[in-house]
Amino acid sequence: MPIFKAGFSGHAVKFSPFFETRLVVASAQNFGIIGNGRIQVIDIDPATGSIVELCAFDTADGVYDCAWSEAHESLLVSAVADGHVKLWDTALPPNSNPVCSFKEHGREVHSADWNPVRRDSFLTSSWDDTIKLWAVDRPASIRTFREHTYCVYTAAWSPRHADVFASASGDCTVRVWDVREPTSKLTLSAHDLEILSCDWNKYDQCCLATASIDKSIGIWDIRNTRMPMNRLEGHSFAVRKIKFSPHRPNVLVSCSYDMTVCMWDYQAEDSLLARYDHHTEFVGGIDMSVLVEGMLASTGWDELVYVWQHGTDPRA
Amino acid sequence: MAGSPLPKKPWEQSGASSGAMPFNPPSNGSTSEIVEASGTARPGEVVSGTEGNAVVNRNPIGRPVPSRPWSSNYGNTPGGYGSSMNYNGVGYGSGMYGSSYGGYSGQMGGGMYGNTMYRGGGYGGAYGGAGMYGGGGMYGGGYGASPYGGGYGMQMGMGMGMGMGGGPGSQDPNSPFGGPASPPGFWMSLMRVMHGVVDFFGRIAFLIDQNTFAFHAFMSALLQLFDRSGMLYGELARFALRMLGIRTKPRKGLQQEGPGGFQGPAGPLAIEGPKADGGAWDGVWGGGVGNGM
Repeated sequence: MPIFKAGFSGHAVKFSPFFETRLVVASAQNFGIIGNGRIQVIDIDPATGSIVELCAFDTADGVYDCAWSEAHESLLVSAVADGHVKLWDTALPPNSNPVCSFKEHGREVHSADWNPVRRDSFLTSSWDDTIKLWAVDRPASIRTFREHTYCVYTAAWSPRHADVFASASGDCTVRVWDVREPTSKLTLSAHDLEILSCDWNKYDQCCLATASIDKSIGIWDIRNTRMPMNRLEGHSFAVRKIKFSPHRPNVLVSCSYDMTVCMWDYQAEDSLLARYDHHTEFVGGIDMSVLVEGMLASTGWDELVYVWQHGTDPRA
Repeated sequence: MAGSPLPKKPWEQSGASSGAMPFNPPSNGSTSEIVEASGTARPGEVVSGTEGNAVVNRNPIGRPVPSRPWSSNYGNTPGGYGSSMNYNGVGYGSGMYGSSYGGYSGQMGGGMYGNTMYRGGGYGGAYGGAGMYGGGGMYGGGYGASPYGGGYGMQMGMGMGMGMGGGPGSQDPNSPFGGPASPPGFWMSLMRVMHGVVDFFGRIAFLIDQNTFAFHAFMSALLQLFDRSGMLYGELARFALRMLGIRTKPRKGLQQEGPGGFQGPAGPLAIEGPKADGGAWDGVWGGGVGNGM
């Protein structure tokens, strides 16, 4: 399957919810520590199978995450390391982009997630310990959620409830929020070390997965916060990102600082389904296609983007 | 709004999910209206970057650490005068290091003169003060000397570096918490360059010293090993020969006085000098011709 050279170290890759062959890659120079960033929209040519770049936008600072709009096929939001949240329209030429730029976060913005249910709003989480809720019909953020006491690495909407989302933070907790409530609904002390990512099960609205620096993945039922339903061990370094499959209820993929991408079935006895070690550096981003079952994409600090079908060799 | 309709999500086609969720059912309407109706909306709230740092002490080691080069202290704080952390004893203040003009050399000044190079309280203090001056000039002389020269020195077990801080520090024309520093003068720059040179060669000398020592230790260990292995070989050989019935020359024959052989240290050592010649030392080195001992 095709390989794309991003040029910068990749931090996130996302499949478009509208087009099977389209992806966006968020990358940053010098591993995201200092330097510029880039957002690249890439397309898999169905005839040749190779990846071509549709358009690219440069930013003044590294881009840590990006998310496609669920409402508009060419719109995407990016989380920039200088605290900016920028909206881009891939149908417009680079000189009329970004279409919006918000500077409300005080530090690096680390994640962006578009509401898949109501589709008019998105979340950003930042190292300034807050999460912000934005809507496309408002010129500024609607709300700021501050309860975490350390960097918030991920905020993820519930795929089944339009008002609920979860946030994973370096203060070793995951909080579950309702945007209508003044405080968080739930605090989950999920790991002993920093939690880098969380994601919801698409088929069970109470099931949440957390990924932590302690190398493990926790599977939680939010009605029982005392102990996890399951704990997946197998990565040898911190788990950077985690994503539930859009097609199968108990399958999730994770990527880690041990340079591998793993696919898990958390209900199976032998939970590790596959391990891909095609990256030669830290893996920064992982995604599963909503439109094509089993289609995976990953990007890492080796500046490469891989798109492959589960079960095949990404390098082939 | 969208040019093409969004394909349905696979999980939306599968129907209801298992289990009741402990949340109120989703509201109807747009997100912004729902949030505004709930009374929790606070539009456009700007989060300042340093706020979170100052309020929460999230530092597990309990002392200020150098700010990371990518942290946003750069330029956020006028004149590089960071947070109150700079007062916390050891001068590795968070805002200071890297964010202010000359801060790095200031830290070097305090550290190096305080412990390796001169070790004297006077110099330690003075150049600690100088570094501080370069590092932002925020403090007056005395205070400026203490975090770097004193604090760091004491941390290294020197306990020095307080006294002379007033020297270069007093060149600082600003009041203790005044505006930004004036640029360093010629002597200051020269001293800093000299310090860099001395520091560099000090490090080189240290490396050479350490390497020489390591090489020496390695070589002596190697020689010792050879020596011991030679002895082992000899013992083994003798043992093997004895097993074969071949008698080897007894070893103590070496200690007997053979004809023309070497006289072992059987008798008293000649340290007292020959007593035969009237107890004098005269014949020891040159005169002992024909003297057996």
